[in-house]
Amino acid sequence: MASTSKDVPIVTIEENPPDDLEPGACYDSILNPTDSFEEFASEMSSSLQERNISLAAINSTISEIQSEIGENSAQIKTTKSSDDLQNKDESISASTSNSNLIEQNGDDTDNEKDDYLQTPELVNKEKHVFILSSAGKPIYSRYGNEDKLAGLCGVIQALVSVVEEQNQDILRSITTKDCKAVFLVKGPLILVAVSKSNESETQLVLQLTYAFNQIVSVLTLTQLNRIFEQRRNYDLRRLLSGAERLIDHLLIFMEKDPAFLLGAVRCLPLPEKARENITSAIQSTCNKIRDLVFAIMLAGNQLITLVRMKKYTLHPSDIHLLFNLVRSSESFKTAESWTPICLPKFDSTGFLHGHVSYISEDCQACLLLLTVQRDAFFPLSQAKHTIAEKLRRSNCLVAINDALNRNEELPTTNPLKHIGIPEIRHFMYKCKSTAQLFTSDPISLDKLQDYRMRHKVGGDIMVKKIEKLSDIDYVRNYRRFCSSIHCTSTPAKLIFRSNSSDTILAWVTNGFELYVTFDPLMEKDQAIKAVDRLLKWIKKEEQRIFIMHAPTF
Amino acid sequence: MATDDSMSDDVFEDDTLRAPAPAAHRSTPSPTGYRDYYPPAVPSSRLQDDDDIIIHKTILLGDSGVGKTSLLVQFETGKFQAGNFSATVGIGFTNKVVTVDGIKVKLQIWDTAGQERFRSVTHAYYRDAHALLLLYDVTNKISFDNIRAWLGEIREYAQDDVVIMLLGNKSDSGLERAVRREEGQRLAREYQVSFMETSAKTGLNVEAAFAHVARSLVAKANPVDPSRLAVRAQPTQEQRSSCPPCS
Repeated sequence: MASTSKDVPIVTIEENPPDDLEPGACYDSILNPTDSFEEFASEMSSSLQERNISLAAINSTISEIQSEIGENSAQIKTTKSSDDLQNKDESISASTSNSNLIEQNGDDTDNEKDDYLQTPELVNKEKHVFILSSAGKPIYSRYGNEDKLAGLCGVIQALVSVVEEQNQDILRSITTKDCKAVFLVKGPLILVAVSKSNESETQLVLQLTYAFNQIVSVLTLTQLNRIFEQRRNYDLRRLLSGAERLIDHLLIFMEKDPAFLLGAVRCLPLPEKARENITSAIQSTCNKIRDLVFAIMLAGNQLITLVRMKKYTLHPSDIHLLFNLVRSSESFKTAESWTPICLPKFDSTGFLHGHVSYISEDCQACLLLLTVQRDAFFPLSQAKHTIAEKLRRSNCLVAINDALNRNEELPTTNPLKHIGIPEIRHFMYKCKSTAQLFTSDPISLDKLQDYRMRHKVGGDIMVKKIEKLSDIDYVRNYRRFCSSIHCTSTPAKLIFRSNSSDTILAWVTNGFELYVTFDPLMEKDQAIKAVDRLLKWIKKEEQRIFIMHAPTF
Repeated sequence: MATDDSMSDDVFEDDTLRAPAPAAHRSTPSPTGYRDYYPPAVPSSRLQDDDDIIIHKTILLGDSGVGKTSLLVQFETGKFQAGNFSATVGIGFTNKVVTVDGIKVKLQIWDTAGQERFRSVTHAYYRDAHALLLLYDVTNKISFDNIRAWLGEIREYAQDDVVIMLLGNKSDSGLERAVRREEGQRLAREYQVSFMETSAKTGLNVEAAFAHVARSLVAKANPVDPSRLAVRAQPTQEQRSSCPPCS
């Protein structure tokens, strides 16, 4: 970590920050910095054949790890079949299934279903998301009751299949005056977003892909494909029950948290020393557990540290799914948990097994220990208690709580005040090489909570006067700039736009992406000076706001 | 990977269980006053006291939403969180020591997710279980009808001599009730398992249910003692929960 030492770079980068190592960059990244946008661009330009091929061949990272670990692999293979959620459960599942019931409902409501589309439950929402099977069976609807949407799903399925079969083409989107409908066919599922927001088609496809990955995370792609190979008409809601909530929350997060927009992960700002201590507590406790692939500590949708098996990195979108799982599952708070988790980018064919627990009653940091071993609960539980004790002794829990409670003394709590550039109202910075992000106004979890409470009934388009903008509103404004910058045909490098309400500067280099909101009357040269100072500040604080090392076991 | 009792014994020492010996000089860690916390002087000495207690693995089973987690939370903390349903993900793990007839019994309680997709995960734990609490929701007929399927599954995966207790939860529901107590009793008799109606909300019979399980486990471990076996005779007697916070 030669050139990232704390004091020197401040001077050296003064004139021309982008030529040197940009703030937050380090030589070794914990995350796989693949830009999601590239992927979605390719997703959107792929032809029908390519799509079908890409789903066929996937190799399994988990079995690779298992075979490397060696001795247990034989046993794992034989037990593998019991991962199959379908086996032997038919007796119960058949009786719990309410699929017959549903069909009856369908018949009853046939006459009124057109009316249903006009009910307040469905009308005037900013964004709908529908997920259905390729046979046209409803699986998920963000609003309303998907049972009553069988008719709509049939129409969607018909649209998709007509374009595919008659034109040998893919239906990607339909645009009307005030509304975009974006279609994504993934494996046996059809996902549709109908949006009146200012999100671009790419951004909507990205969200649909996340929703698909969320389903894969619950079932694995192997399982998902097999289910529909066996029974094309399967009602997937049976296996997803309880997971709708995960999709609900994911959709909210994607609208609110710029981490999704930028394909980056937000870290909990911590003193360098504290983060080091936490990491080494995990390393020293876990280095003898050979099946452990990832140890991840997070708090409030922010990453505290990630220790990984050599050779394997995590993709930001997999981390987002873990954030979402932890945030959406109150049950982790009541007890130490053991659960299968599939990380689609890491290995969509199989489950990792996760020990999930909050560090202690008085610290809301959550520790996930992910292993390929299906019966490793006890050793991992022991490891967790050892780690928790070490953290308590080294005062790391205090440091985490200070950061979470946004202690006023910390420079990262109120960065704008600390930087001292009054013209800057908000900024958002992504270090590309490490896929990490920092914003001036960290996403407030309380705000999210409130939003979630309102959400099931809310989501309506409202024109209200905004008195004070929050992170969420700024992020909304950045969306358009973000899509011009990530546009594949004519990408912009630098955008400077001024209007009566604010001035926004968006700047992308090889190393970073930066979005800044200034007061409306900001001059260009003034803005550039301010940005220079801002980058210097980020560089100075980089050890705090980013994870600069990539520790392994 | 060894997961036998001898190993897990020293794994699951948590604060509540290691209390007796060093507790006197250790300041209690308050929920937020962690700054004052100082680590126990001799952490390894805490093991002694629990070594002679046998751990009994107990699993909570039943359809999604019947109240397994709520029952456990009520048992553990004496609290009930109204209107806050959140499905369990995977399996949750809790340790609890209960004292019955002067004997300490350590229950290692596995709270399982009721959803179908987690079945294969939970099956793996049936085999090691000493006791199973099988819950249905008295306001949900389907959850009651599924009990037969659950019992079939238990027969397939669990040990033959496992202690099974059938619990009709949400017994406080009054008019919404869809399963009469007699139906539960009849089913329990048919399968020769113990039965109680519980309410995780009011705490009714919650402690009693776990105490009954603990007693049965002790009785099973000491089959020569006839007085303890007799306990099984009247398991359905309703008792008010004696947990202090809610009385």
